[in-house]
Amino acid sequence: MSHPFALLAELTYRCPLKCPYCSNPLELRLERDELDTSAWRRVLTEAATLGVVQVHLSGGEPLVRRDLEELVAQGRSLGLYLHLITSGVGADERRLARLRDAGLDALQISLQDSRAAENDWLAGTPSFEQKCRAIEAARRLELPLTLNVVLHRHNLDRIDEVIDLAVDWNVDRLELAHVQYTGWAFRNRAALLPAREQVERAAALVDRARERLGRRPELLHVLPDYFQQFPKACLNGWGRVFMTVAPDGAVLPCQTAREIPGLEFPSVRDQSLHEIWFHAPVFERFRGTGWMPEPCRSCDRREIDFGGCRCQAFLLTGDARATDPVCHLSPVHHLVDEALRAAAEPREALNFRQYSPRTSSQH
Amino acid sequence: MKSTSAIRRPLLARHARYRWDALRQQHQIVFPEGVLVLNESGAAITRHCDGRPIGELVAALENQFQDTPLEADVHAFLDRLFEKRLLTDAPEDPHTNPKR
Repeated sequence: MSHPFALLAELTYRCPLKCPYCSNPLELRLERDELDTSAWRRVLTEAATLGVVQVHLSGGEPLVRRDLEELVAQGRSLGLYLHLITSGVGADERRLARLRDAGLDALQISLQDSRAAENDWLAGTPSFEQKCRAIEAARRLELPLTLNVVLHRHNLDRIDEVIDLAVDWNVDRLELAHVQYTGWAFRNRAALLPAREQVERAAALVDRARERLGRRPELLHVLPDYFQQFPKACLNGWGRVFMTVAPDGAVLPCQTAREIPGLEFPSVRDQSLHEIWFHAPVFERFRGTGWMPEPCRSCDRREIDFGGCRCQAFLLTGDARATDPVCHLSPVHHLVDEALRAAAEPREALNFRQYSPRTSSQH
Repeated sequence: MKSTSAIRRPLLARHARYRWDALRQQHQIVFPEGVLVLNESGAAITRHCDGRPIGELVAALENQFQDTPLEADVHAFLDRLFEKRLLTDAPEDPHTNPKR
């Protein structure tokens, strides 16, 4: 069995934004205990020992953690590659300079839309101006910068404006990633799914821009799997190269795995990452190819796409073992076509990310 | 598009970092989305991609390995790094753009 290469460190679920496609759980409790600095320092040490090479510092908004600089410095001293994934809110120049000096390797800033009003609507809060300032500050500090824009029905037609902005800002990389329909995005699927014509037009625009622009910025276009023939190689295989530590210390094979009922997630509070990676039943659950049903089991792509996304399989079929229904070989592929047809009907309102009501059982 | 034949001062891209992975006993270039595993000669070349002129780089490697016909191999390797966007061309005066 191989050692993990990447750790997604979700430092907090706190976030000033309310994006309706957030990958955080639907059940968001502000009062749930976050790991403290010393616990995260231990997680980073254990991760490096376990073979992790890259750490993606994410959330929520990781900048709300005042100990971020300390964690970056700690990770860097362990030889880890530190990649910060932020909304840009709170990323003023002084903070970014401190993070750079602590050893941050690269930065990703999200933008919800090319236009201020639309960005602020989708983020659920005024944030466009702060994001612009953060991007400009990162450029001045010469931090390697990826601009990330999540694509869906409401912004896809402005993909050319997004590309123009990335060129103006001279970012290193522009990641244009379609929504993955799990979590909040699944809840908002009918309001977010684009039309096929939108997807095709945008793809053609990206191809033309790539020809025109050459090497800079690098354009990465992550196509929407609902419109593809084969599923995504989710995480490059469950429990194969990637692990997530959630804000409360739960260790997950993928950050949305809590969607699948019946899985038990061990905590870094009780066990070492090594013990969890090699022995926790939840990491064994969909590891390798032995768990696969047909048509995956005998498919010659089984070690290319690993059966696709387990969360998506569960959300669409009720069975997390099923072949990802976006695969055209899935016996229930019609579920995807039906979702696309339903989304073409008059649009539904978006449900913005929000915290669950405080309950007495929480403290 | 620029090819390495035009690259005069190979410099590892800002987002790319060379590291030795003690657990896996391998040389790597790490970048935000991945890891490129290097063999010994790739690692030696990579460690010299600090913005010095390509001629000096080749000379340093030939000196290090007491081996002469390296130039073609170095160019082929640098081409691959350039293609993967892990390499850039440093400005004329390397002191204006020190790799941190």
